[in-house]
Amino acid sequence: MDYIYGVMAVICIEIIATVGLSVFTGFTGLFSLGHAAFMAIGAYTSAILTYFYHVPFVLALLSGMLMSGLISIILGFPTLRAKLRGDYFAIATLGFGEAMRVILENLSITQGARGLPGIKHYTTLPVAAIFAVVVVWLTKNFILSKFGRNAIAVREDAVAAEMAGIDLFKVRMLSLIYSAMCGGLAGGLFAHYLNFIQPAMFTSVLSTQLTSAVVAGGMGSITGPILAIALFIAVPEVLRVANMWRLVAYGLILVLIMIFRPSGIMGYHELSFEWIGNLFRKKNCNKIADKRRT
Amino acid sequence: MFLQTLITGFSIGGIYALMAVGYSLVFSILNFSNFAHGTIIMLGAYIGYFLISSFNLSFPLSLIGAVLGAALLSLLNLRLAYNPLINRRSPSLYLMITAMGVSIFLENMVYVTVGSHFYSFPEIFKQSTIKFFGSDISPLDLAALIFSLISIYALHIFLTKTKIGTAIRAASYDMTTASLNGVNMTKLIGIVFLLAGAFAGLAGVFLGVKYMVYPTMGWITNKAYIAAVIGGLGSLPGAVIGGLILGVLETFVSVYISSTIRDVFSFSMVIIFLVIQPAGLLGKYLEEKV
Amino acid sequence: MPLLELKNVTKAFGGIIAVKDVSFSVDSGEIIGLIGPNGAGKTTIFNLITGVYKPTEGNIVFDGKDITGASPASIVNAGIARTFQNIRLFNKLSVLENIRTVLYREADYGLGDALLRTPKVTRIEKKLYDKSLEYLEVVGLTDFIKNRADSLPYGLQRKLEIARALALDPKLLLLDEPAAGMNPDECVDLVELIEKIKKTYDLTIILIEHHMDVVMELCPRIVVINFGEMLMEGTTQEVQNDSRVLKAYLGEEYANA
Ligand SMILES: Nc1ncnc2c1ncn2[C@@H]1O[C@H](COP(=O)(O)OP(=O)(O)OP(=O)(O)O)[C@@H](O)[C@H]1O
Ligand SMILES: [Mg+2]
Repeated sequence: MDYIYGVMAVICIEIIATVGLSVFTGFTGLFSLGHAAFMAIGAYTSAILTYFYHVPFVLALLSGMLMSGLISIILGFPTLRAKLRGDYFAIATLGFGEAMRVILENLSITQGARGLPGIKHYTTLPVAAIFAVVVVWLTKNFILSKFGRNAIAVREDAVAAEMAGIDLFKVRMLSLIYSAMCGGLAGGLFAHYLNFIQPAMFTSVLSTQLTSAVVAGGMGSITGPILAIALFIAVPEVLRVANMWRLVAYGLILVLIMIFRPSGIMGYHELSFEWIGNLFRKKNCNKIADKRRT
Repeated sequence: MFLQTLITGFSIGGIYALMAVGYSLVFSILNFSNFAHGTIIMLGAYIGYFLISSFNLSFPLSLIGAVLGAALLSLLNLRLAYNPLINRRSPSLYLMITAMGVSIFLENMVYVTVGSHFYSFPEIFKQSTIKFFGSDISPLDLAALIFSLISIYALHIFLTKTKIGTAIRAASYDMTTASLNGVNMTKLIGIVFLLAGAFAGLAGVFLGVKYMVYPTMGWITNKAYIAAVIGGLGSLPGAVIGGLILGVLETFVSVYISSTIRDVFSFSMVIIFLVIQPAGLLGKYLEEKV
Repeated sequence: MPLLELKNVTKAFGGIIAVKDVSFSVDSGEIIGLIGPNGAGKTTIFNLITGVYKPTEGNIVFDGKDITGASPASIVNAGIARTFQNIRLFNKLSVLENIRTVLYREADYGLGDALLRTPKVTRIEKKLYDKSLEYLEVVGLTDFIKNRADSLPYGLQRKLEIARALALDPKLLLLDEPAAGMNPDECVDLVELIEKIKKTYDLTIILIEHHMDVVMELCPRIVVINFGEMLMEGTTQEVQNDSRVLKAYLGEEYANA
């Protein structure tokens, strides 16, 4: 029972990070190779605050989010400038993840590679679940607002978006900050769930898992990536697969999805009763358009 | 000490340049970051290592084998993973994601099949050093540098003096015009990937000789991307200059400051460059055709 | 004072000079045609006016302000909107969302409101929804509001692009080959639409078009571009009877024959 409880808590936590990344990659069309680093920032910031300074949990979580957001600005400012391609950002994130690791391993307050043990266990399953629900709800609102629509417009056609008076830089930056803050929150929850963190937990393995979930779930869907990350965590637990094979599978999933169904499991849809109903009604006229466009 | 550091820096820079050239070539023609390039470099190193140690081939023959093998793998990568997307004219984000997938897949395949051992190439040059103005220079460094520069120069000749080379350059300028002029794009892209793969194989063997051969050696290949950004994405001379600059600066940082911050330093360079010179040293803002 | 004025505008891409020393002006309320053979540089002129490219030389003045080298977003806000030769819609958004996305410039709710989806947000969203409908009604797309933009047939996609440009509330509208790929009936339809929107929204229009009948019908004044240079500027009559124009379009032999 404890075991299932634990897996579910981890799923809730990672849903938060995935939904955040989905805003950045799925809805705004930018690629990140190091989103785990934002989780690391949130995890360490909040853990240090509760552990050394006895700051209340929620306040510590907020600080972790803010710190992630702040650092994302430093990263995004030079790389997301309007005329630069998204590749620049992707490459910068590679280094960002590495820089994060080196810093965490060498600072004294983070206790280096040994990590921070003895963090208080504040993140119970209900806490994680409540945060997940709130973040998903906020993200849904975000996407349905002008901010989300502008992001989609930028993803669909940056030139046309600019000619519609949309400031590309602002839109991309906002998406980055939003997703970084989600990552920070997830990291904070993670630290206070495991009671122990070390730099090795936030490597490219974690980043890859998040990215694969967004891509497989559907770039342009919130529920799709949620479904995907839940499967990505639960299935290997059930089958007890070795870590290395997981990565082999993630790699393969990324390639196969892009080749055969670039819109992901859910495409641009949300999982809803209406959508399930439509599946059976066979009136999916957008199918043709999907084929024509891709 | 200074001169020695400089030469070491240039020799590492030469390898970075070798790596960056292939990456840049693909970028210039298809406009996406081929993150699988680093993995092909890693596989090139493995091929070279196994040819020399298991099949007892000579170093030159193993090098040739690695070059051919990596070129083939690169072509295979194109045909199996990228072509379906290129044919549909998918956005470059999709290609980038596929490349990432290929890279993760192959790297971890090596992990689960070959394992995570570190292999070192048998000694090719005696450990002796050459005295040069009172500094100890390793012959390996010197050979790597000279060989890198020669092969990059050969590529330059190929791109400027042959018909195919000219077509490649034309296509990197404007894909649509090139295909209008009767150049077969599919064939051209194939040749570009063969070339990129060949350079990956070359870089892989040198990298393997200098460091060691192991699955995550692809990490070092990330320097190729940095070098390309510094030089300007998509520009070949930029990739070479970016590689050399990066190699030298990095070596000085690790010798005179600390080797732990070396990689952090390299990536900070990217950020700094993007602030002061957003298009890199030799790149120009691409004015996308509207 | 003209609404738009190009003064000796030149644009070079590396070695290629796509636009060379072009000067012309457009008065408020005018509708002018911009014609010329393929590759003449017409679209490049639009790109220069809208800030997608920066001119290598020369100045562009709009509504009394020098907009040379300004950002596309600021030029849009100054009052210029356009359509694209290769349709550029927000494909995965619905027809209605395509318009509403543009209208968001007027939505004055903040991030906090958006995240919590306060009544203010729903109210403004509803208002913009209704306003989007108005624009869709003008171009006759009200039956398709829920369809994805890329599921529309070609002709309707062009109309959606026009509606999207109108939603930006421009003074000057640039239309890049709106009749491309349309049959004669659709062309007639389009001419009527352009006349209608010009009157309703009090627009000044520059029209690039290869369908000569459309240009002749709509534009009293025409600017002809050839190989990046201005060949001539004149009334429809003058252009029609000018041997240089014939030559540019049909080649040397035809013009002499
Ligand atoms: N971004 C760019 N980079 C390089 N060359 C360009 C670019 N944009 C346009 N050109 C070149 O400028 C010239 C003029 O192109 P433009 O698209 O303006 O022609 P056009 O008059 O609109 O032709 P058409 O009637 O075919 O649309 C062409 O030779 C084209 O190849
Ligand atoms: Mg044109």
